Amino acid sequence: MPRFYRWLLYLYPSLYRRAYGDEMISVFRDAQADVSDGSFGERICFRAREAWGLLAGAVQEHLSIISGRYQLISFTRFNMRPEFRFPRSTVFLMSIIFAGVILAMEKAHTIQVKYAAGAGSIWPSLPWFLGLALLFTCVTAILVWGILFALGRTGAHRLAKIQPGTNMTN
Amino acid sequence: MEPLPLTEPVLLVLLSLAEQPRHGYSILKDVERMSGGRVKLSTGTLYGALRRLLEGAWIERVEEDESPRDRRPYRLTSRGRRNLQLEVERMRHLTKLAALRIARKEA
Repeated sequence: MPRFYRWLLYLYPSLYRRAYGDEMISVFRDAQADVSDGSFGERICFRAREAWGLLAGAVQEHLSIISGRYQLISFTRFNMRPEFRFPRSTVFLMSIIFAGVILAMEKAHTIQVKYAAGAGSIWPSLPWFLGLALLFTCVTAILVWGILFALGRTGAHRLAKIQPGTNMTN
Repeated sequence: MEPLPLTEPVLLVLLSLAEQPRHGYSILKDVERMSGGRVKLSTGTLYGALRRLLEGAWIERVEEDESPRDRRPYRLTSRGRRNLQLEVERMRHLTKLAALRIARKEA
């Protein structure tokens, strides 16, 4: 896991890694030593929490750099810039839609089993669906991170700071 | 001033530092202890919060010659303490209001 942890740290911007990387590894080692005597479930939960924390943190740090404002993704609830507001109702609606899609798939699966017994199903079962959804989310997150990383490298985020009429060579 | 309200993990990190300067692992354990094991921060979440708090000058690093580079303590600044007091005051008002409303409903 420490090697995997170090590898995940490379997802962070290099400045952030230089500033906090050593401390994070040290804290991770201490925390890992704490759970080393715990149950298998505790160790899995710890690793999943750490991996997820690093992935989410890396995306957040890249977004902060690209926006040019560290306050964009703040530590307050849904506190974004006024022109980039993410309404709370959207989260609620998305959850309802997601639940509706899952229920519809389950219903379709039940109907298919009922009326076409013996025929092979083209729909995956719920655990498989959730697994595939998780895989899809991870792949999307990696792609988004790649795009953000590429944008950061090209310096596209600096374009927003350029004042009209100023000398570009400054 | 940074906008309020704070999320629970950030509030607990600030409360942890309000008592005394602490390094990362000490904050992690103190937050877990304060929340009765309910809030377990990952290192990614902890250092994301610490970075933002440093950025907003709510906390600062304690520069100690003898402390190793990977165990640098952090402490609350006067700005951080003032904002924490504001947040606690807000919560106290909310709790008082909630108690009054609940009592009125029950009566």
